[in-house]
Amino acid sequence: MNPVDLLGKIIEISHSNLELASRITSILNIISQDMRSEEAIIYTFDKDKRLSCRYANQRSALFNILNKYRCHIGEGIVGSVAQKRSPLFYTMRDIPPRFGCLFYPELDGKLENYKVFAFLPLADDSYLYGVLVLCAVNRDVIHDADKIFLSILSREVGGILRSYDLILSSKKRISELATLSELGKVLTSNIDPQELLKNIALIIAKSLNAAFVTIKLGYAFLKLDAQRFTYGIIDPSVQDHVAELEETSARLLRAVSMRDCAPDEYEDAFKLSLFSAPIVSKNRVLGTLTICGDKMEQTYALGEDGQYLINTIANYISSGLENTLLNTRLRDAVRELSDAQKRLIEQEKFRSLGEMTANIAHEIKNPLVIIGGFAKRLARQIDLDRTENKYISIILNEVTRLESILNEVLNYVKETPLVAEMCSINDCLDEVLYLLTSDSSWEEINIAKTYDPRLPPISCDSQQLKQVLINILMNSHEAMHGRGTITIQTKQTTYENRPFIAISIADTGGGIDPANIDNVFNPFFTTKERGTGLGLAISNKIIMNHKGHIDVENIAGKGVTFIIYLPAKNHITKEEFL
Amino acid sequence: MKNPRILVVDDEENIRLLFKEELEEEGFEIGLASNGFEALDKLKTERFDLVVLDIKMPGMDGIQTLNEIKNIKKDQPVILCSAYGEFKQDFSSWVSDGYVVKSADTRELKQTIKNVLGL
Ligand SMILES: Nc1ncnc2c1ncn2[C@@H]1O[C@H](COP(=O)(O)OP(=O)(O)OP(=O)(O)O)[C@@H](O)[C@H]1O
Ligand SMILES: [Mg+2]
Ligand SMILES: [Mg+2]
Repeated sequence: MNPVDLLGKIIEISHSNLELASRITSILNIISQDMRSEEAIIYTFDKDKRLSCRYANQRSALFNILNKYRCHIGEGIVGSVAQKRSPLFYTMRDIPPRFGCLFYPELDGKLENYKVFAFLPLADDSYLYGVLVLCAVNRDVIHDADKIFLSILSREVGGILRSYDLILSSKKRISELATLSELGKVLTSNIDPQELLKNIALIIAKSLNAAFVTIKLGYAFLKLDAQRFTYGIIDPSVQDHVAELEETSARLLRAVSMRDCAPDEYEDAFKLSLFSAPIVSKNRVLGTLTICGDKMEQTYALGEDGQYLINTIANYISSGLENTLLNTRLRDAVRELSDAQKRLIEQEKFRSLGEMTANIAHEIKNPLVIIGGFAKRLARQIDLDRTENKYISIILNEVTRLESILNEVLNYVKETPLVAEMCSINDCLDEVLYLLTSDSSWEEINIAKTYDPRLPPISCDSQQLKQVLINILMNSHEAMHGRGTITIQTKQTTYENRPFIAISIADTGGGIDPANIDNVFNPFFTTKERGTGLGLAISNKIIMNHKGHIDVENIAGKGVTFIIYLPAKNHITKEEFL
Repeated sequence: MKNPRILVVDDEENIRLLFKEELEEEGFEIGLASNGFEALDKLKTERFDLVVLDIKMPGMDGIQTLNEIKNIKKDQPVILCSAYGEFKQDFSSWVSDGYVVKSADTRELKQTIKNVLGL
């Protein structure tokens, strides 16, 4: 083939649709054929800027030996050709004694057949891409014309390598940008943190073609169930490496690869493109991102731009986490607010209901007094026979009943001012229990007490508080039909960051029908034949007047726990400190 | 000894009637007024040993009436009487000499009257 045809053929191949490696192999096949050179080998720079043997013609016998070794620029013949960027030609006789990287123990006896060697820099004016090595068995000399042609050829191959490089790096760049934009989308969509982290791992793995991506959170963060989010499978053989990398990157506060934590094992470990970056927010390491490349060829290796990309992704993740953290806080705050609002509405409802009730009760009270009053006069004045007397006493009994209900209602709606004093809740409970359990109907009720012995005394109206305790305990008694266990606990706790004490009263009375649970605090709500439905309404009002609240934990079929929360300190505390 | 005279003030006719009959039975002489103005008029012309004053009345309520009475007759004994105990904590009701919650059972009312009159 004449030189021009050869060049044309090479350029044609370089534009074909084949994969990069097969294109270069085809080119090397042609060169080897045309130059009558049994070996046509290309060294290029690896990610550590060392020359390594990457491509060869199909029939190459030396490739499998040479590709085990790498050399620095300046080292051996290949290294010095790269350094000087000028070709070197040798015959077996004049090849220098220090061959550098070309001669290794495994090559012993394998080189004797070759008669001529050519080492050509693959370079254009500005950039060096590698070195082309030719070794021929059936040629004695390389003529000057061939030398000139080979120089042109190597320049051309260098150009081809360069354009591949450019294509590859722009592909890489595009996939990076795509990754980041995908990440951006996920991070700004308000999904829950768990989903967020899973999605991030997935996106990174897909777009970087990684074997696995794992995000580990160092903090018990965001109240998440899991602390590690992985896409792909972490091969057991690299599990230790992953742990090591995570630890190192968190310690050094930068992206690291295996080189940073195991320099001795580097030769082996570099084959895994395994690296890790810290997820840092406000000088605090939230966790680490670890990526394991899949195929050497297409994957990320932690070069300078790799490091940059990983750090960028880690930053994205940290801002995403910050966001979700803010969001969760916001959600909590909103929930607290709406709780408070609900309570306020409840209070308002009670108040207007109270006014209405007071008016109605008042209107009923007068006629009732009149009916009852005259009935009494009747009973006293006339000496009636037995039947009529019975009727009158029925009227009087009913009037008395109505009056006592009215009194209870009016008691409920009436604003009773608090008579606050410092009192011990444990003592209050004991007094109430003493009072109640002296009745024989409490004989078969087992009372289990776990008091906090160090419960501080609190400021409250003990008479009213006892009324609340009696109401709740009586409800339990009624729900259990006089048989079961009541568990009473007192403890210190906090509510909205303020100290509270909690009194919980749990029974085994079968609980409240879930359909009724929202109504039990409503005045007049009752499921009992002779209940007024005011017990809990009054209790709730009293506790609200104390700036506390009552919670209900209902296990339908089992029992109810009423928890009374009371502020442990009144507002004077601040002045006391001053 | 002359029977003690009591003025019953209430906007409900039947309450007035009930109280009148119940109290006359106890030997009191009863005058009636259906609102605060009427009561003040009566007090200006007649002498009563005691006023039983309802609180919830249209126009001038019992508390206001009580203040007016104490303005013209500082030593006039007054018992407030209402459907429920809502005014027990009201400062102005402290000026009264007694406070009774209305009930079909008039024993408490009678007892309070006797206490105030020192009987
Ligand atoms: N410990 C409990 N177990 C099961 N249901 C309960 C319990 N406490 C309250 N309830 C339910 O809540 C309703 C309202 O209770 P609340 O104390 O307000 O009124 P009541 O007990 O019915 O009447 P009152 O207390 O005025 O006699 C009860 O009728 C009952 O249905
Ligand atoms: Mg009850
Ligand atoms: Mg009235």
